[in-house]
Amino acid sequence: MPPGRFPSARAELAEEGHLVADGGCFGFPQLIGKAVAMPGSRREIELQIERFHGVDLEQVLGEIEYLRDAGDTVIAGGSLAYGLGNSLSDLDLLISGPTTVESSRVPLDHFLGSLRVDVWKLSQELIESSFRQVEQALAAEAELLGRFGDSYYEDEFKLLQRVAFSVVLDGPELEFGPLDCRTVASGFVMREYAERMRASALVAQVALRAGRSTAAVVNARLAVENALNAGVAQRGIPFCGDKWLGERLDAELPGLAGIYEPFHRLPTDLARDGSDFVEAALDVCAEMWCVELELDALAELACWHNADDVRMAEVGTDHFLLAPRHGVIWELDECDAEACRRLVTAEPDEGWRLADCDPVGMAMCMQLYEHGLLSIKWMEGIPIAALDADWETTA
Amino acid sequence: MRALEVDARRYAWCRGSALWIVGIAVPIYLEDVRGAVQAEQGALLRWAARMLGEACAVALNVALNMDRPIPSPTVRGSWALERIQGHRLWQPCWELIQGVDVVPPEVIAERCEELVEDVRIVVGEMPNPLLPEGQLPALALGRDWLKLMDAIGEEPPLPRDWIRPT
Repeated sequence: MPPGRFPSARAELAEEGHLVADGGCFGFPQLIGKAVAMPGSRREIELQIERFHGVDLEQVLGEIEYLRDAGDTVIAGGSLAYGLGNSLSDLDLLISGPTTVESSRVPLDHFLGSLRVDVWKLSQELIESSFRQVEQALAAEAELLGRFGDSYYEDEFKLLQRVAFSVVLDGPELEFGPLDCRTVASGFVMREYAERMRASALVAQVALRAGRSTAAVVNARLAVENALNAGVAQRGIPFCGDKWLGERLDAELPGLAGIYEPFHRLPTDLARDGSDFVEAALDVCAEMWCVELELDALAELACWHNADDVRMAEVGTDHFLLAPRHGVIWELDECDAEACRRLVTAEPDEGWRLADCDPVGMAMCMQLYEHGLLSIKWMEGIPIAALDADWETTA
Repeated sequence: MRALEVDARRYAWCRGSALWIVGIAVPIYLEDVRGAVQAEQGALLRWAARMLGEACAVALNVALNMDRPIPSPTVRGSWALERIQGHRLWQPCWELIQGVDVVPPEVIAERCEELVEDVRIVVGEMPNPLLPEGQLPALALGRDWLKLMDAIGEEPPLPRDWIRPT
């Protein structure tokens, strides 16, 4: 990989005028200005669905009227409400109010011609409780990562974003008293994605050492994307899923789009370029957030966690690793067997700290992680104050 | 009559997961690809094509190799690619996962459509609840899978209870 192919995050940001010239660590905490993008208006959503589908909002409200209890408000969120969607995007609605009778676990789909309308129905009490839980989690030091959904199940992120950055279509504004919904919702995405960035950075480096170059470069790219998603949230921009990151950057944050550009595509020759790609990606992440991402530092904070009750069995001179729940059995050689003993005898609540693994143990655990038989637990999260000293919540 | 040369629980878990955990995402990504091409949203197109490549690789691996469990989303693409190495669909999956850059949007969309067609032949018809005509058949198929899982004592890939606890 030619030197200098990867631009400096700092240079890009300075060029865009997003950085303060002096003042210690350059990164997102020093970004000038927040809340560069706000949700659209009711009229904008109306125009979009008329243009794309020939459907007006009154038709939509009529179609979902049967779901509303007395006093319920209908609000819009998601890509169409935030000016990102296209003709195939669905319209995401939330019905809620102080006396809503029942809450659904999944959205209810409605079809009006070519327009798909996804409707969540949740009591205001439940929404407020979600905000409170997240607010407490943000104030705590423990890992937040994955506690409110993962990258495939983003409902909790999206719910909070929809409420915090809502466009009211019908009914009164939802009131949550002193709760600062936008700060909590943005802080939630920012911290979750910063912790994802750290997790991806760790997996990329462990995978690289274990010779798992595809996993290494995939996670390096993810680390950059997670860092950028955290940065977008930190600026108070509504989040509506990983898939809109690139469009957001292209449209609103070209400086960050420039940082992302070299990482869109994974190298073809992984043996030759994989290591440089990982290093460059992690440099960009560390520079953005001033967070320590070196493997040795991360290994002190992370443990291999035997979440699936992986066990060991000895039959004569043969050694086996078992995951009975999944019907999995692996044969182990003497070296692996020694590492496996340390893994299965680790305290279940604590796990096997990565810093205590020798290279054989690390490679074995990485292999088991790649097969879904181990997970990674962090001893601490990344407090929001470490990401943004000026961040304040009501917690 | 044909005996399936695999443990019944593993077969049902793997085929069920190929359809319901992974396969159900494929029509969603394909719709994102089509929408992105129409709206000239290049970044969305890149993302959706990549996710589609990954979902196809995972569905293929689970259906062909009966591998379980499915690992964390951050490593499932690389896990699946390694396990389907040598299969003719490895290359199209890898190209999408790697990231498409200089290829015209219509060509990317065409590659995605072709890959999905090829994967359907292996994995089976993937439910598409995004379309009015696909939603009820998808629910009916889901119910059948629940019954099969119950019959062999395996955890179903779909929730039993659709009401959110309060």
